[in-house]
Amino acid sequence: MGTEIGILALYGLFVIVVILLQVLAALPQVGLVALASARDTMAPLTGVAARLDRAQLNCVIGLALFAPAAIAVQMLGLSTGATVLAGQIFLIARLVYVVVYAAGIPWLRTLAWTASILATAYLYIVAMGGAAAA
Amino acid sequence: MALELAILGWAGVLAVVQLVLMAVPANLQLGSAYLVTARDEQRQLSGVPARLKRAYDNHIEGLVMFAVAALVVSVSGRSTGFTQGCAVAYLAARVVYIPLYAYGIPYVRSAVWAVGFFATLLMLLAVLL
Repeated sequence: MGTEIGILALYGLFVIVVILLQVLAALPQVGLVALASARDTMAPLTGVAARLDRAQLNCVIGLALFAPAAIAVQMLGLSTGATVLAGQIFLIARLVYVVVYAAGIPWLRTLAWTASILATAYLYIVAMGGAAAA
Repeated sequence: MALELAILGWAGVLAVVQLVLMAVPANLQLGSAYLVTARDEQRQLSGVPARLKRAYDNHIEGLVMFAVAALVVSVSGRSTGFTQGCAVAYLAARVVYIPLYAYGIPYVRSAVWAVGFFATLLMLLAVLL
């Protein structure tokens, strides 16, 4: 199993864990009855539950962007030490992002998000370069 | 083609069907004259169209994770009867989820959501472990 794909699988697992944490944070706030209902009139989340909700949405968007790049780099045979490092930076930045978001720390969250998006962009640039050469 | 990828294709079709299923009642409720604008003024859906919108949004989120799971299983050549069963369970749960949400049936909807969610989780674990 190639490393970018391994990182992708790990990150997918991480996003699932974040969603579980978000549900667990929302549960005591709005209650099981409201969560299980059709949510026609559910009160907006607040505090850590709301932060995890926003972080989770951002993580899913990050996953949708990272997955094609990681798969393209792997399938085009463009994996190098640098692309694996970019994948690892992405994964660590995303972990930091969620923790820092939940803790409500400004700037560092933005920095972590930026690192993850730049790492993803790098994989796209590598993939496009390889696709153009092929 | 691995069965997981075929299921992924059908899950994509389901998302498109859900988009139509959501957009038609949304147009009837909010009016196409509003929906074609830049929507600067926020108008909220209510009732069944709002439920169909939430069901659609939830599937898009689930689909991103399922797509990763299906592609990772397929690319790494780790497709087994177990991962294929998980993929079938995902698609079935996602289909059943829609009427359960539209009719506002509590708990069962949450349980059906959990089937799709944990099927995706198990597919990723099957590759990683």
